[in-house]
Amino acid sequence: MPTVVLMDASLSMTRPVSLEQCSEELQRKNLAVAGLTMLFEHMANNYRLEFTSLVAFSSLWELLVPFTRDYNTLQEALNNLEDYDKTCLESALHGVSNVVQQEWGHACPTQVVLVTDGSLGIGKGSLRHSLQTLKGRPEDKKFPLPFPFPAKLFVMCIANAEELQMTDTMHNLEQLLQLNGGDGQIFTMEGQLCLKSVQSMFGRLIDEVYSPFHAALYFPAVLRCGNLASDVQVFPRPEPVFLDEEIDPMPRHILTDLEIVGFIEIGDISSPPVMSRHLVLPIAVNKEVDDVGPGTTEEPEEETSANQQAGKVPNFCVLLHGSLKVEGMVALVQLGPEWYGMLYSQADSKKKSNLMMSLFEPGPEPLPWLGKVSQLGPISDAAENPYGEDDSKSPFPLQPKIKRSYAQNVTVWIKASGLQTDVQKILRNARKLPEKTQTFYKELNRLRKAALAFGFWELLKGVAELLERECTLLPDTAHPDAAFQLSHAAKQLKLASTGDSQYAAFDQNINPMHTDFSGGGAGM
Amino acid sequence: MKMFSVSHKTAFVVDHCPYMAESCRQQVECDVLTKSRGQGMIPLAPVSKSLWTCAVECSMEYCRILYDVYPLKKLINYIVSDSEFHILNSWRQEDQSTHELMSALAAVGPPNPQEDPECCSVLHGLVAAVESLCKITEYQHEARTTLMDTADRVANRGRIICLTNAKSDTHVRMLEDCVQETILEQNKMAAGSDRLMPIQQCELVLVHIFPQGEDTLVSDRPKKEVSSLLTSEVHSVRAGRHLATKLNILVQQHFDLASTTITNIPMKEEQHANTSANYDVELLHHRDAHLEFFKSGDLHMAGSTSRDSGLKETVTLKWCTPRTNSVELHYCTGAYRISPTDVNSRPSSCLTNFLLNGRSVLLEQPRKSGSKVISHMLSSHGGEIFLHVLNSTRSTLEDPPSISEGCGGRVTDYRITDFGEFMRENRLTPVPESPDTEASGKPPAERAKAQLERYTRYWPMIISQTTIFNMQAVVPLANLIVKESLSEEDLLTCQKTVYNLVDMERKNDPLPISTVGSRGKGPKRDEQYRIMWNELETLVKTHVAGSERHQRVLDCIIACRSKPPEEEERKKRGRKREDKEDKAEKSINKDSEDKSWQESERLKGVVERVKEEQGESEVIKDSPDSPEPLNKKPRLEEIQLPEKAKGPVSLLTMWTNRITVANSRKHQEFAGRISSVNNKAELYQHLKDENGMDLHENGKATR
Repeated sequence: MPTVVLMDASLSMTRPVSLEQCSEELQRKNLAVAGLTMLFEHMANNYRLEFTSLVAFSSLWELLVPFTRDYNTLQEALNNLEDYDKTCLESALHGVSNVVQQEWGHACPTQVVLVTDGSLGIGKGSLRHSLQTLKGRPEDKKFPLPFPFPAKLFVMCIANAEELQMTDTMHNLEQLLQLNGGDGQIFTMEGQLCLKSVQSMFGRLIDEVYSPFHAALYFPAVLRCGNLASDVQVFPRPEPVFLDEEIDPMPRHILTDLEIVGFIEIGDISSPPVMSRHLVLPIAVNKEVDDVGPGTTEEPEEETSANQQAGKVPNFCVLLHGSLKVEGMVALVQLGPEWYGMLYSQADSKKKSNLMMSLFEPGPEPLPWLGKVSQLGPISDAAENPYGEDDSKSPFPLQPKIKRSYAQNVTVWIKASGLQTDVQKILRNARKLPEKTQTFYKELNRLRKAALAFGFWELLKGVAELLERECTLLPDTAHPDAAFQLSHAAKQLKLASTGDSQYAAFDQNINPMHTDFSGGGAGM
Repeated sequence: MKMFSVSHKTAFVVDHCPYMAESCRQQVECDVLTKSRGQGMIPLAPVSKSLWTCAVECSMEYCRILYDVYPLKKLINYIVSDSEFHILNSWRQEDQSTHELMSALAAVGPPNPQEDPECCSVLHGLVAAVESLCKITEYQHEARTTLMDTADRVANRGRIICLTNAKSDTHVRMLEDCVQETILEQNKMAAGSDRLMPIQQCELVLVHIFPQGEDTLVSDRPKKEVSSLLTSEVHSVRAGRHLATKLNILVQQHFDLASTTITNIPMKEEQHANTSANYDVELLHHRDAHLEFFKSGDLHMAGSTSRDSGLKETVTLKWCTPRTNSVELHYCTGAYRISPTDVNSRPSSCLTNFLLNGRSVLLEQPRKSGSKVISHMLSSHGGEIFLHVLNSTRSTLEDPPSISEGCGGRVTDYRITDFGEFMRENRLTPVPESPDTEASGKPPAERAKAQLERYTRYWPMIISQTTIFNMQAVVPLANLIVKESLSEEDLLTCQKTVYNLVDMERKNDPLPISTVGSRGKGPKRDEQYRIMWNELETLVKTHVAGSERHQRVLDCIIACRSKPPEEEERKKRGRKREDKEDKAEKSINKDSEDKSWQESERLKGVVERVKEEQGESEVIKDSPDSPEPLNKKPRLEEIQLPEKAKGPVSLLTMWTNRITVANSRKHQEFAGRISSVNNKAELYQHLKDENGMDLHENGKATR
């Protein structure tokens, strides 16, 4: 989950903090920098995969460091931060919104850490002013909260709670959180403003948001395939999902036991839609590594760190990943009741590849072409191998019971051209009777059915007349059967156009007339 | 969209009164004469559709699009109204198809102009529609039964689309009032019934149709609230293509659809087969396929054009010459069913047939900057075409550490090929739902998991951890033993496999066993076989609870493997001594050798019985694509532990031993030392001998 640090660079941040025991004069800004330094160090040590960016704001905003995993760059930019004019939070939040959307789109959950001294400006552009004028804004000047992407907002105040409550700052900040859907928290400093208290405040943020395991970033789980298993971390942590909020308003979380149901070829699962993607990283739990080969003990004494040890212990994830990659398959994994996902090998470049998990939308049938997942069984359940003895077949995709309009030859006459094409098709075939007898009647019956359904009897009469005319226009060389079939078809259409139930039944077809010529007469 | 929004139920009420038989006054020339045949022929008079025909074909087009995009859970009830109402289908899912409706409409036929207009009214149909909206659908029923205590969460909402020819605005108001009253009445009735639900929200969409060239008597009116239960809107539309356009817009509004136009589709010309022209095809689909455009505000920027006086918008995406294949797994954030707006035009059917044949097309989103972004993909799955949304933003997962850098990443001899084979055997297949499978207990997916459990009871992950899975000769047994139940034939095959192994042992065939440590020659042949038998026993033991035949396979192994337990125990000790002697004096322990020879003799009978049935017993070398196995010690720890505990032999000890051995050759060893145990000699041994005690035990410990 990427983090945006939104740093207040207004003049008020340079207010000195009075300290008795410290000889050096400190500004609030110095405290903020110290706190953020602590956060960056923590991230660099624990979350090497996280992206963080730094935005500074006053009356304007500036993206100082675009999303990066390089915490040195962030630290450097932070240290060189200059002081500017007044605080204008609204435009800065717009800035954050733009920065995040440009980088990650609208679906990526993001954390916004706002660091400010709590003096949120005066007059126009101040937070108070922004909140007072929330209503009645035109579409293009909407307040940036709630963000168009899922976001948690953490406000780090370089001020203590009493100070903020004296003015309406606290109230305004709380309102800001509410605008964000209540997702987030306000942190204030306890006691005197000093390095110690700012560190304790950022410590609380780290504990709640960025601490390993219970925090929002990694999700610990066990991946199982029968009796084979591996402890894993899922990164980033899957977000809870809400289904139909009316019927099923409970948030759904994925289970910590991820159980493989079976395997499917990539071609069969066929680029399915997924809600999110996650890395599945095997981890060594503090278990005594029980099966280290004896070879390692005899090796010359070298520094074998815990990591290297773990690298040498066979892990199911690595085996699974290797085979999925080689075979071009995915593993279907159960994430919860009626909730599934897939595991597959994802290559970033030619050298690096990883075990990835994608989550399908919760529900018994996430992919129509697989059918209900609970109805997917082992191939041994089928009478004969549905993949064929030589892997030449596949039971997937499932066919829908009723074909879609574009897969069946539907009749639409909304545009005149549609009707003309259908009539011309019949006439074209009529001129090639008796060779085209089958096609002629097929097209004729298609037109008849549609005309009956649409109550378009006039068309039936019209086409009957056309066929009669064709009959008179037949050249002398024409096959005698042609004339019989044409007048027979015309007669049947006319009968149908009366609406007489005996001749106008929808499911009834006009059949070719049986003539003495139709049998062996083709050679005449 | 909520499952039970107003879109869950749509009642179509189509006016079938005599005035609907009137012509729409739009003529269609269906006799297109070609030049060569045109001379002297009077062309057929053009035909014209009635208001009824227009209403029916446009409503069927609405249904066609709806069923294409939502084959399930969006239901239509089609009602025709004249002197009475005719309900053409029900809410049931199997009644939801255009074919069903067309068939029913054919039975109704066009309105009869001779009928008395006084007895006919669209009101009958509207009343029937309200009654019908109160009827519970199978989905509502299912949701109510599964929720039980919170069944009241299941909502009942619906929409009535009425296609009629109204007399005036007052007439329209009268229709609205009637619907409102009927809802109130029906809700009272529904409150006391199990199969009915009161209507919580109803949308009435009145479409007034009038012939070309006439002035409308009814004015358009946007949606307004008639009551808390009912909203109503009026559309006054000319029959013919205007009506078609209107219903096309309505179906998009009602079901959250959006339009995408695929441009630059290359298509072969019929006349000039070697040239191709570019065509455009418009598709409808759920509007979430454009979500990224909506959110980023790009919708009005590039690619989006307005047509038909701003009523309709479409996003333009460009065809990319196909270069994707089915084995590529795209990161796709959504897939939405499509329906072509002009289903049987030639460009549409060319595109859909191309896709239905199993090919996929990537689509490119034109951007202001001119850069190329592949944003969508068209692909068919089992006769249904989907518009896939591909992720085009940066991923937070970029550049992750490779799996080879993590846990287990440095192990190089995973049984990748074997696990691949395992995955093929554990592929899934759809099992048709039937009452039988439910009776048998477990749903198929649970049976699949159970099979995975059985197959993995003993499954070493790396090549150097196993012997039996590296042996071709074990394959038949290993494949069969994991089965839920064994047939008599399976049992026989397993037994043959065991006999085959016995024969291999007798012939002293080499085993693909990895050598102990890195020094020396590794375990002796008989030790290798002992490891192999142990492993095989471990495998089979995990399955004995499965059935009596599984047990018999184990019995067979125990009976056939060379040594009964106590003898093996002795042999183990013998082997230890043998090892030592091997190093020190290279003498042969005849005693032990004899024994194993005798064992083989004893087994010969068994072996010969099965000899002719044996196939070639071959040892698989480690598969060529897998790396060299580590020099890893197989499971010997428990036996070797005592020795291992002593630690490695120091140079001093080796030297001392050597000197001692050399020296011992130069003189006769002191008799007491020869027979000593731990350098302690037992005195007066002859007394024991005389008493007939066996000296053997003691002798074992001596040199």
